[in-house]
Amino acid sequence: MPIIRPVLNWIDERLRIHAIIRATLTEYMVPANLTLWHTLGFVLVTCFVIQVVTGMLLLVYYVPDTGRAFDTVKFITNKVPYGWLIRDLHAMTSHVFVLAIFLHMASTLWMRAYRTPRELQWITGMILLGLVLAAGLSGYLLPWSQLSYWATTVATNAAGSIPRIGHTLVLWIRGTPNVSQYTLGRFFAMHVSIIPFSILAVIGMHLLFLRLTGIAVPGGEDKATVRKVPFFPHMVTKELASVFGTLILVNLLIFYFPQVNFPEDALIPANPLETPAHIKPHWYFLANYQFLKIVPNEFLGIILQVIVGVVLFFLPFLDRGKKSSRLYDGVFYTVVTLAILGYIGLMVWGYYS
Amino acid sequence: MSDVPLDPEQRQSEPQHRDTSAQPRRNFLEWLLGVVVAVSALTFVAPMVAYLSPRRTRKGTNVLMGSDGRPVPYKELNTNPVVAGVGVNGEPTLVVKYSGEVRAFSAVCTHLGCLVKWNAAKSEFLCPCHGGVFDANGVNVSGPPPKPLKRYKVFATAEGEIGLEEVRA
Repeated sequence: MPIIRPVLNWIDERLRIHAIIRATLTEYMVPANLTLWHTLGFVLVTCFVIQVVTGMLLLVYYVPDTGRAFDTVKFITNKVPYGWLIRDLHAMTSHVFVLAIFLHMASTLWMRAYRTPRELQWITGMILLGLVLAAGLSGYLLPWSQLSYWATTVATNAAGSIPRIGHTLVLWIRGTPNVSQYTLGRFFAMHVSIIPFSILAVIGMHLLFLRLTGIAVPGGEDKATVRKVPFFPHMVTKELASVFGTLILVNLLIFYFPQVNFPEDALIPANPLETPAHIKPHWYFLANYQFLKIVPNEFLGIILQVIVGVVLFFLPFLDRGKKSSRLYDGVFYTVVTLAILGYIGLMVWGYYS
Repeated sequence: MSDVPLDPEQRQSEPQHRDTSAQPRRNFLEWLLGVVVAVSALTFVAPMVAYLSPRRTRKGTNVLMGSDGRPVPYKELNTNPVVAGVGVNGEPTLVVKYSGEVRAFSAVCTHLGCLVKWNAAKSEFLCPCHGGVFDANGVNVSGPPPKPLKRYKVFATAEGEIGLEEVRA
């Protein structure tokens, strides 16, 4: 069409889209030794996009009212054309989202890519991890099932063990002494607006810091001498392979392992007067849950977890310097390996306990 | 208005003529601007905090409400030794007839808020979430719960319903 070219040129003269594409894709050089493992960031962006799109579609029918929430979710699943697919995509992608961010952070930790000048990338990554977990927790309550009601009761009650302010904190989180309509309203507002907009803003900052500092070179090679390739097509093809791999994983979960997200208690409407036996949180909170069970003092259990979180958050300022001794490196990797194995061990123990 | 030279060296070589008498006024204006912004922010934040503040339920004497939302008649205890419902401050409550005495406890486990169940065979309350056990007096005897169950005084109201009153420790 002869009209399209002049229109595109007119837009390009004003927005310089071609120059932006060149700067971000074809002329943006990245280390040649980046592998599929280094595409987890793009997998996370893909998961976020899927969550936003499917979340908007679920909003068309979902009603955040304790008397209707369960029925509207049931309606979406059983009556709306492809409603089951939209709901399952939203629920299962949330698991993959958490898994990908865990792997992304663990990979950065192992590569020690948080060190100067990438401290802010690590900190924004930690904030994103917290936001993604908060999105999981707040979304858990929305179907108003037995599982959602009691898992939220247990999770929010954990804050109550903090001396002096614990009770008030629980009250502010829930809006009432018990999980109720006010809690559902708060969690709904957080889940569909506050958390997604925050995630979007922090992803923007994270990517900006990434462009300013450059991608960390795998294998500790010198940034100046390492061979580089254009982001497009070399890295883009790898990113696409990861995205399709992620979609395959999500669909495998939807079609072959639906019980991951929908155990028996998730199919019963919430009953505030009946706690089901052996209520457990999602897999990504199982380690925290089991830790709370094995530490005799609840406050101590929470404080120890907070300390671990704070140490991880400020890790770039604790593990400084580009060069370190072999002894220091040995201790570091031993601690990290034990921490990761301990976390997985607690998760498995929590599942079978 | 004179043009400022672009060359930094040329700029440095020129004499600096600054009106130092204007500095206190400038400081005051900056301070005033800060106060105006802070007060404006507060006028937005204060209503937001009030808007989000938790809803508190009424305290004091209450009656046990059943799952149907109606008060539970006291005579229910003649046929049923354990009656569950919602009591003071909307708290799930268990009223138990034990050794001829009627006792009422908050059903909320003091560990992480799951609801305990009365085990008549063992004369104890058991939490299904983390295995916490409380004796017939509501005292935590094993498992993770850090303190006893909240206890209520039970009485029959003038309307023949199960009345509850918080017992202050």
